Amino acid sequence: MKKLTKLLSLVLCLAMLFSLAACASKDDTTTDTSSDTSDTTDTTSDGEKTVRLGLIGPMTGDNANYGTSTRDGAQIAVDEINEAGGVNGYTFVLDTQDSQGDPDSAVSAYGKLMDSGMNVSLGCVLSGEAQSVITAAVEDGILIVTPTSSAVACIEGNPNAFRVCFNDAAQGTASADYIADNNLGTKIAVFYQSDIDYSAGLYETFQAEAANRGLEIVEEQTFTAGSNTDFSTQINAIRDSGCELVFLPIYAAEAATFLTQAAGKLDGITFFGCDGMDGIQTKVSDTSLIEGLMMLTPFAADAEDAATQSFVEKYVPVHGTEPDQFAADGYDAVYIVKAAMEQCGKTPADADFNEAMVAAMYEIQVEGLTGTMTWDENNEPNKPAKAMVFHDGVAKLFAE
Amino acid sequence: MVKLIQTLISGLSLGSIYALIALGYTMVYGIAKMLNFAHGDIIMVGAYAVITTVLTANFPPLVGILVSILVCVVLGVTIEFLAYRPLRQAPPLSVLITAIGVSYFLQNLALLIFGSEQKAFPTIIKLPTIEAAGVYIDGITLITLVVTAAIMVGLTLFINKTRMGKAMRAVSEDKGAAELMGISVNHTITITFAIGSALAAVAALFYGMSYIYIRPTTGSMPGIKAFTAAVFGGIGSIPGAMLGGILMGVIEQLSKTYISTLWSDAIVFGVLVLVLVVKPTGLLGKKISEKV
Amino acid sequence: MKMKKKNPASPLMEGKRRGISSNAVTLLMVVVIYAVVCYLLYSGNMSRQVTNMLVSISCYIVLAVSLNLVVGLLGELSLGHAGFMSVGLFTGCLVSLATVDVLPLPVRLPVSMIVGGLAAAVVGLVVGLPALRLKGDYLAIVTLGCGEIIKTVITNLDVTGGAKGLNTTPIYGNAKTLLPYSIVLVFLVIIVMMNLKSSRHGRAIMAIRDNRIAAESNGVDITYYKLMVFILAAFFAGMAGTIYGHSLSNNKAASFDYNMSIEILVLVVLGGMGSIRGSIIATIILRALPEALRVDWVSDYRMLAYSVLLIVIMLLNASPKFADLKGRWSIGNVIYFVANQKKQKEAAHRD
Repeated sequence: MKKLTKLLSLVLCLAMLFSLAACASKDDTTTDTSSDTSDTTDTTSDGEKTVRLGLIGPMTGDNANYGTSTRDGAQIAVDEINEAGGVNGYTFVLDTQDSQGDPDSAVSAYGKLMDSGMNVSLGCVLSGEAQSVITAAVEDGILIVTPTSSAVACIEGNPNAFRVCFNDAAQGTASADYIADNNLGTKIAVFYQSDIDYSAGLYETFQAEAANRGLEIVEEQTFTAGSNTDFSTQINAIRDSGCELVFLPIYAAEAATFLTQAAGKLDGITFFGCDGMDGIQTKVSDTSLIEGLMMLTPFAADAEDAATQSFVEKYVPVHGTEPDQFAADGYDAVYIVKAAMEQCGKTPADADFNEAMVAAMYEIQVEGLTGTMTWDENNEPNKPAKAMVFHDGVAKLFAE
Repeated sequence: MVKLIQTLISGLSLGSIYALIALGYTMVYGIAKMLNFAHGDIIMVGAYAVITTVLTANFPPLVGILVSILVCVVLGVTIEFLAYRPLRQAPPLSVLITAIGVSYFLQNLALLIFGSEQKAFPTIIKLPTIEAAGVYIDGITLITLVVTAAIMVGLTLFINKTRMGKAMRAVSEDKGAAELMGISVNHTITITFAIGSALAAVAALFYGMSYIYIRPTTGSMPGIKAFTAAVFGGIGSIPGAMLGGILMGVIEQLSKTYISTLWSDAIVFGVLVLVLVVKPTGLLGKKISEKV
Repeated sequence: MKMKKKNPASPLMEGKRRGISSNAVTLLMVVVIYAVVCYLLYSGNMSRQVTNMLVSISCYIVLAVSLNLVVGLLGELSLGHAGFMSVGLFTGCLVSLATVDVLPLPVRLPVSMIVGGLAAAVVGLVVGLPALRLKGDYLAIVTLGCGEIIKTVITNLDVTGGAKGLNTTPIYGNAKTLLPYSIVLVFLVIIVMMNLKSSRHGRAIMAIRDNRIAAESNGVDITYYKLMVFILAAFFAGMAGTIYGHSLSNNKAASFDYNMSIEILVLVVLGGMGSIRGSIIATIILRALPEALRVDWVSDYRMLAYSVLLIVIMLLNASPKFADLKGRWSIGNVIYFVANQKKQKEAAHRD
């Protein structure tokens, strides 16, 4: 019995240590937050007045390319704004947290950002993580401007969440309209990835709009992440279907595989992709494979306007490659926050900052790299879609 | 009819790759009696070795192939020495978990070194696609079939006719007895791993030429399917591995063409489960009774 | 209860009874941890980041402990544990979504958990059937295959939201709401596992692991026990899945793949096969550490480190020297030693 009591006391001591450690760490975070809030609310001696922006995305692991592009794009915007003197007397600070594409980790990352005093959230890079984070953020009332999470449901659960990119449904519809408007073909084959929301979501709305516009879907072929190397049976089926155009709502890596294996077998058929195709010219082994490939995208790195040119100039040394749509969306997201702050004239020091920012989102018009945007009552952006076509490995605006 | 023939040819093309991988599996499983989960990942490493030597260091393709074989053999033997040899007396569960660990290790190491984005395999030889009566046959399919068959014959002869082959069969039958007969079990298993890994390098070459794009996870799925193919054909049986591989490829493509590409993953794994449950001894394998 | 001695030669232990049973230590540990967590959470003193991790870590504890039943006790490798979890998740969440307007949470969540657990148990039975004929490598591949089949089927069903994932926003619950249920589940799985381990059923299962033929010839019903293990493990995985699904607002079948099964396996192996306490500690450390550090190099090297851990632990387990060391320095032994030494000192002092 004595031993038991001794052991019990030992365990209790350990428990106390545990709780002490927990309290200590808690104290750390509270002091962190308080110092942050003092930074932002007070005009103290150091005069540091900052708006903390938080971005969550896969910076490591399988989808790291999307996360790092978005981060680098957003960082360029933050630097530009700070160099120009900030907004309403405040400068921007970008805090990026890695999620590895895992919603569980993304939600924890959101907690960390809130702990460190985030003022505006730049949401998440991937749709899968975005929805969980955006739902978890409802109770905070914070403004979320999510750059690239395109699944329709992502922002539905939170009235304070806005989107920069097109949603999947809008892209599917826009693609069908574009194909019909420009008479690119009436017999369509679709090749999509059945186990990711982006591809399946685009296909669903494309199918609905195609029926409205008199396009005939003659063949549907699919693949999954587990079977993304051998497309021979799908290519045979598409060839046998007698289609005039293949709609490819898939990502660039798989599109490269598809186009490589289809070489010589699908001559005379047009290929039409969406923004997931972004960066395909760097992924194919031979640029002749993508000759004539069309894609619907809001951003092109070789557009001739001054804003794009200067963005590309700044981005290439930082990231090593030409910017893709993810980078442009990240860049635009920061300028949208700036525009909203200018519109409402509020700063994080104001108690009603969140509400004012959300209200301002419906009033602003932002001329971004991905087009001129306004937001509708569903918090979706209105912006024009552009189609690009590849010649000699370079994407050029498609002349209608 | 054309559709069926075209599908069978696709199946043959995919199946010949599976067969090539299955040959390596059946060698190692048949002799060392352990599932080398990392076999598929050695293939991935072999493919990256070719890409690095040919595309990054600008060596001619032949050098790339030789380097790839060398890298795979060294890697296979090292893995055997460091991870599997100390576990020879350990329960099968430990060996299996270690093998999974090795597989995971190679994948994640490749992810760190080469990144998650796919890399294109260099063009080693340019082969035309043959078209006859509306049916397309890739040149590479024919070459893969011929090479796989040649390797199968060569391995069969090696196992049955040479001294080393005899030692391997002895080790496969009974390690203890083989040791007593003066055969070095460790040495024999090392040679087995060396041959198995060289086969992985060859598989990497043909996989790369057929499917062009390589990623860190490239090896894992074909590896698992090829293992099942080896079981299907009868584990330890070399002609069985070839037969099993080709059947597996044909079944996969038939299910894609005639049932649905949506369900093809489930069908392929369904076949896999069925094969393992219903016919674990395989088509050409022999039944082994369990010793107490 | 007498403690099972791994190493009778250990100088620390020599034929002595440990003062407190290993199970009591484990239970006490979990009680204390959760007491601290609850105090911090409900008094509002916990950081948001830790708050957001609580439910997920609890679910992983249940997953690790239940997989330990298959791997540690039965000695078979299951690579489809994430599949069982996902069956439970989708069934449970669908039930919860259907009854969200009718039932209050304290009724709805337990009911959904039980339904989710039962659905997973049925699938566990189906996967367990081949286990009767197979063992070792073949069984591992079969469980892997079954996990992939489950993933494909759920992805292609309309009712589960297909590739877009199931939208669980209406039933979403934050940590404060879900934590009590997670705690109950964690205790349930621990107590069931403990009782099973020390019961005759548990000994029968471990006999199958150690020598199947010998166990069978001693009248152990192998069919019954193997199925029981698979069904029980799947049941708990399914219950954990249901809670996990409630803690996120979108769930995709594709995330419950082979890689996730391996992650759970790493927790079991690192914690020690067959050790409940080990699984719990390993889960807390491996799930919390990367989140606590949140630096790029940790996430870069995390999976690589896991794979090295798997290999190194297997190699160490096979080495007799390490087994000796481990026996000597097990937590129970060390505590006993420290407590005893004080007593000896006291005794010496008195002299």
